[in-house]
Amino acid sequence: MKPKENLLLSLIVGAVIATAINTGFDPVKFVEGVPNIGVLISEMAQFDSKLLSIAFWSMLETLQMAFVGTMIGAAISIPLSLLAARNLNSKFVYAPVRAILAGIRTFPSILWALFFVIVVGLGPFAGILAIIMYTVGFMSKLQYESIEAIDPDPVEVVGAMGASKTQLIRYVVLPESAPHLLSQLLYMFEYNVRQTSILGIVGAGGIGFYIIEYIKFFQYGKAMVFMLVVLATVLIIDWISTKIRDRYIVKRQSGK
Amino acid sequence: MIQVAPKEIFSYNIINLDNVWASYDGKGYVLKDVSTSIKGGINFVIIGPSGSGKTTLLKIINGLVRPNKGRVRVFGVEAGDNGQFKALTPKIGYIPQNLGLVKNMSVMDNVLMGSLHRVGNFRALLKSFPDEEMKSAEEAIKLVGLEDKRDRKVYMLSGGEKRRVAIARAFVQKPSLLLADEIVSELDFVKSKEIMDVIHSVKQRMGITMVMVHHDLEIALDYADIIAVMKEGVKIAEFKPNELDKDSVTRLFNGHEA
Repeated sequence: MKPKENLLLSLIVGAVIATAINTGFDPVKFVEGVPNIGVLISEMAQFDSKLLSIAFWSMLETLQMAFVGTMIGAAISIPLSLLAARNLNSKFVYAPVRAILAGIRTFPSILWALFFVIVVGLGPFAGILAIIMYTVGFMSKLQYESIEAIDPDPVEVVGAMGASKTQLIRYVVLPESAPHLLSQLLYMFEYNVRQTSILGIVGAGGIGFYIIEYIKFFQYGKAMVFMLVVLATVLIIDWISTKIRDRYIVKRQSGK
Repeated sequence: MIQVAPKEIFSYNIINLDNVWASYDGKGYVLKDVSTSIKGGINFVIIGPSGSGKTTLLKIINGLVRPNKGRVRVFGVEAGDNGQFKALTPKIGYIPQNLGLVKNMSVMDNVLMGSLHRVGNFRALLKSFPDEEMKSAEEAIKLVGLEDKRDRKVYMLSGGEKRRVAIARAFVQKPSLLLADEIVSELDFVKSKEIMDVIHSVKQRMGITMVMVHHDLEIALDYADIIAVMKEGVKIAEFKPNELDKDSVTRLFNGHEA
């Protein structure tokens, strides 16, 4: 047992070293570059507070995009995840649905945004569509996994009482997985706010547009205003969703 | 809810098991050559040590487990994956040992689930149950003594209260046959008696046939019409409670031949 473990460990270490060399990983270069961080920070410190109101309004747009995208995406995910759950469907239903979802998941949201900018033009709508696609791909997977993990007994018993499949979904499957679905929705919204903040890079609306424009013209102090607003927003959302989680999810699970 | 059973069901065998063998993995048998017939309207109680095949025997009757050999007929229909038996399922109530309640829903919602087979999909989706179903659910909740907790979520209830919910749900289903697996296990004697009394009174009123698995010999002796004793998958005895004296029953219960 022991020599085998050693061999495995040295293989992993070897792989890490080889890939680091192949990709130009160079600690010396990093140490040499450290003074640049100082320059960057001093430039960022030239905080331009006149931009705060623009930053605030563009953050609000970002939040709205993330909200609409998350909600519509989640609404689409629920029926898809019901179709993709192995405990509710035959192979001929869940396998193709899963394949489609995996396909949607292959693209990061920024690529979806690029695609929708081409389709519907510049602006927040393209960004919302990108968020919807990303949410559908990702959230359906989270959802069908929690649907598959529900307690099989109520499904068996209520089914044996003569309830139809639609009724089972309405009265057993969805209520049993509801705390997980809510938790995933919160997580997805937080994540989408962060994602939407950078979609502006490809012209899909939101605060990212300003960040990338100022960085392009080396105005780090101005970009910093926008980044700080993103940071503050993300922290606030995090705090709110922790509250919601404590109130509705943690209690239920410990109550069993 | 109150419904008087037709007298004629009492003289018929509604369950027939003929030389039933069952196995989960195809190797070891959990049921070995079990035969019995159960008359309508009685309370048939299965006792025996854990791992003796009691639960499997219940699942064989409601079609959740298929026999490897032998025949199972319920209401004259071969149990299994056929349309005729599927149509019977609303007539067979089943309370498994872990109850199978939906934890995140209220007592009332859980009890109403017993009536789903009489309610259309559309009304069920909107949760708009017909008045008579609401009424029978209310009645059942009152019967098991949970009227002050009808809107409480099930995960907030105690073990004994959860059992009451499962019983109310089974009654709302209005089955002709009720299978119950260790419905009073983990409860103290007084609570067990209370719950058994509730079940018994409804059984008498509605003329339900009951097949119950029990761990507690006292309870079995008090409520059974027929007792079957299982040991290692074999039915080693079947008798009426007054046919045998308590000592030989205890010996049987502990797995000795009488």
